[in-house]
Amino acid sequence: MLNRAEKRIEEAILYALVIEQQRNDEIEILSFPVAVMMVSATNDPFLKRRYALAESKRAYNLLKQENKEKITQLAATFNWRIESTKTVADFALHFADFLRNATGFHETKWKLVNRTMLNGEVYLTRDEAARLLAEEVRGHIEKKLETKIGLELPQNVENIVERLKQLFASRKGKMRLEEMPREIVLDAFPPCIRQLYNNILSGRHISHVGRFALTSFLINSGMTVDNVVDLFRSLSDFNERMTRYQVEHVAGGRGSRTKYVPPRCDTLRTHGVCPGMDEICRRIRHPLGYYRRKLRIMKTTTTEAQATQRA
Amino acid sequence: MKKIETQPFIQEKFAEYYRQNSGSIEPPSSIERREFAFLLLKEKIMLRHKGFKSVDELRNMLINVIPSHVYYSTAYYEKPEEEMDAKGWLGADLSFDIDADHIQTPCNKQHDTWSCNNCGKTGRGASPETCPKCGGQKLDDKSWPCEVCLESAKEETMKLIDALIEDFGLTPQEINIAFSGHRGYHVHVENQTVQNLDQSARKEIVDYIVGIGLEPKFHGVEMGRGPNLEEAGWRGRIARGTYDFLLNATERQLEEIGLKKSVVNSLINQREGILKSWKSGGPWRLKGAGPESWKKMVQKAVERQSMKIDTVVTTDIHRLIRLANTLHGKTGLKKTRVPFGDIERFDPLKSALAFKGGTVKLAVIEAPEFRLGDERFGPYKNEEVELPTAAALFLLCKSAAQVKEEHWRV
Repeated sequence: MLNRAEKRIEEAILYALVIEQQRNDEIEILSFPVAVMMVSATNDPFLKRRYALAESKRAYNLLKQENKEKITQLAATFNWRIESTKTVADFALHFADFLRNATGFHETKWKLVNRTMLNGEVYLTRDEAARLLAEEVRGHIEKKLETKIGLELPQNVENIVERLKQLFASRKGKMRLEEMPREIVLDAFPPCIRQLYNNILSGRHISHVGRFALTSFLINSGMTVDNVVDLFRSLSDFNERMTRYQVEHVAGGRGSRTKYVPPRCDTLRTHGVCPGMDEICRRIRHPLGYYRRKLRIMKTTTTEAQATQRA
Repeated sequence: MKKIETQPFIQEKFAEYYRQNSGSIEPPSSIERREFAFLLLKEKIMLRHKGFKSVDELRNMLINVIPSHVYYSTAYYEKPEEEMDAKGWLGADLSFDIDADHIQTPCNKQHDTWSCNNCGKTGRGASPETCPKCGGQKLDDKSWPCEVCLESAKEETMKLIDALIEDFGLTPQEINIAFSGHRGYHVHVENQTVQNLDQSARKEIVDYIVGIGLEPKFHGVEMGRGPNLEEAGWRGRIARGTYDFLLNATERQLEEIGLKKSVVNSLINQREGILKSWKSGGPWRLKGAGPESWKKMVQKAVERQSMKIDTVVTTDIHRLIRLANTLHGKTGLKKTRVPFGDIERFDPLKSALAFKGGTVKLAVIEAPEFRLGDERFGPYKNEEVELPTAAALFLLCKSAAQVKEEHWRV
C-alpha cells in the first residue's frame, strides 16, 4: 500500500498523471489517503498542486466511462444542483456549480456566454459533466492537502516523503520560469500595456482597470515606484500623494504587503483594456507571459544576428 | 429674504432632508455585516469602514454628519469596521450598474459640456480626447441626466432583468431595482448562491451579459443555418438582433459594418424575401453573402442585444453602492427603489424628487432644458430665475448656479 501511494505521487511528479491501476481495490482505495498524507507532509505548495491535478486527470479518465446515473450520484456528493435530461444535452447544471469549476478552463466553449443556459441551468454533455466533476475533485484534493499533519510520521514513511521531495526538486528546476531582466524592455510590451503606456505619456485618460494593469505590469517587470509615479504626472487628475499611495500599494509596500500582478488577458478583455491580439497574444494568457515570451524571442534573434555577423 | 451662500445652503437643505426623512432610510439586509461610507458635504472627505448594529444608529449618523453621498458594501464582512485586509470577507451580493455614460444614446449627449483647462474653449457632447483648439489634454466635463439618456438606461435595465430571470433563473423577489439618483439604474441581486460567487465567476457573468467572447458557432450559427427568433438565451438574442438589424438597416449602415457593396445590394434587393423566410424556418441563407458577411451581421446583432453594464462594478466583490432613499450629491435627487413590475412606467424625474415646497432665486450660469416632476425648466444662460426648491438644488448640486435668495411658500 505504501508502495502504491509512493507510485501515485511519483507518477504525478514525472508525468502529471496517475496512470497505473492496481488490481487490488483495497490497496487502490487505501493508498489514496496515504498518498494525500505524504504529499501534505512535503509542505510544498507546488507539489500539492501538481498532485491534485494528476489525481483529477485520473478521476476524469475514470468518470468519462461512467453512466449518467453514476455521474449524477457523484455530483450529488459535492452538492451539485444537477439534473439528468433527455433532450439535446445529457445534463442541466446550476450556473453557480458550473462557474465554480469552469472558470479555470481556457477553451472558449467553457465560457458561460458560449453555453446554452435556460432558467439558471447550463446544458452539458456527459463528457463535459465528467470534466467539471474532475475539476471539483481537484479542488477537493487541494483542500485536503492543506490540512496540517499533527503527528509525527513513522520513519519508513518519512523516508518516502524525503525521496519524493528530492525527486520533485530535481524536476522542478526544469519547470521554473526564466528570471526577469533588470531593465525594462519597452519593445517587449504586449499591445495592451503598450497602448496604456502611450496613452499615459500623452496625458490621455485611462480607466481604473487600465491604470491597475499598467502599474502592476511595470512594477512586476522591475520599474521602481518613483518611476511609475512620474509616469502618471501628465494626467489631468494627477495627485502625487494619492498616486504614490496607490502605486506603493500595488508594489506590496502597504496594507496587506501583497505584491499585485496584472489581471489575466481575459479579464482585460472583459473591461475593454485589450486592444486586440497579435501573434504572440494567441499563445499566452497573461500580459507578463507575453513579456517573457517576447524577451525570449528577442534574445534568440539577437544571438542569431550576432552569430551571423560573426560568421 | 436674505442673502445666502451657496455651499451652506446645500448643506442646510441636505440636513433638513435627513432630519425629516431619516425614517424612510431602510437598512440593507444583515446591516451588522456591511461596511458603510459617507462623503461629507462640508469637509469633503470620505468616512469609510463604518459599521452599524441597527438602523437607528445609521439614521442618527446621517442626521449628524450630513453626507453628500452615502454608500454601503455589497459585501458581508465578519468585522466591517476593520481595514480591508482584516475585514473577513464572507460573501457579496451581485450588483449591476447601468449608467448613461456607458450607453450610446440617441440624444448624443448634446446636453453635456466640456471645457479646456488650458485655453478655456468649451464644447457640447461627450468630451473629446484633446482640445480641438489648443490641443490641450486637460478637459473638464459636466454631464446631465436627460430624459433620453434615462430612457436608454431604463431599456438596458429591462433587458438585463429579462436575462436575469429567463437565463439565470432568478426570481423577482431576489432582484432589487433602483434609480441611482443621477444617470442610471442599479440592479441588485441577493441570494445565498450568488453571495458565494468569486471574482472570476462574476467576470463570466459580466461576459455573458455584455456578450464578450461570444462565438456564434456555439449558438447554432453555421453555414446556412442559425437559431430561431423565439429561442431562449443568446440563441434567440442573436436571431432577433440579426433580424432587427436586417429589417431596419440603411444601405450605409450595412456598409459600415464592413459588408461588400455586392452583398449590400443583394441584401437590399432580397430583404423582403429574407425576412419572410425567417418566419418559416429557412433563414440564414442569402445569395452572395458568405460566412464572413453573416459573421459581421451577427456581430452587430450581439452588440445591439448586449446589455450595457459597468463591467467593473459587477466584478468588484468589495464594491460600495449608494444606499436607497439617500441623496445623490450631484443632483439632490434620491436613490429610489423601483417596484419590480413598475419599471416600464417608472418616471425617475418624478419619483426621485426629494424636496417639496418653497422656491429659490438663483443666478444660473448655464443649464440645458430639463424636466423635474411635471415642469420643464430652462435652457438658461447667465440669468436670474426663481425655481421650485428641487429644481434649484438640482442646478446648485451641478454647480450650474448660485443662490440669490430663498423664499418660503407653503
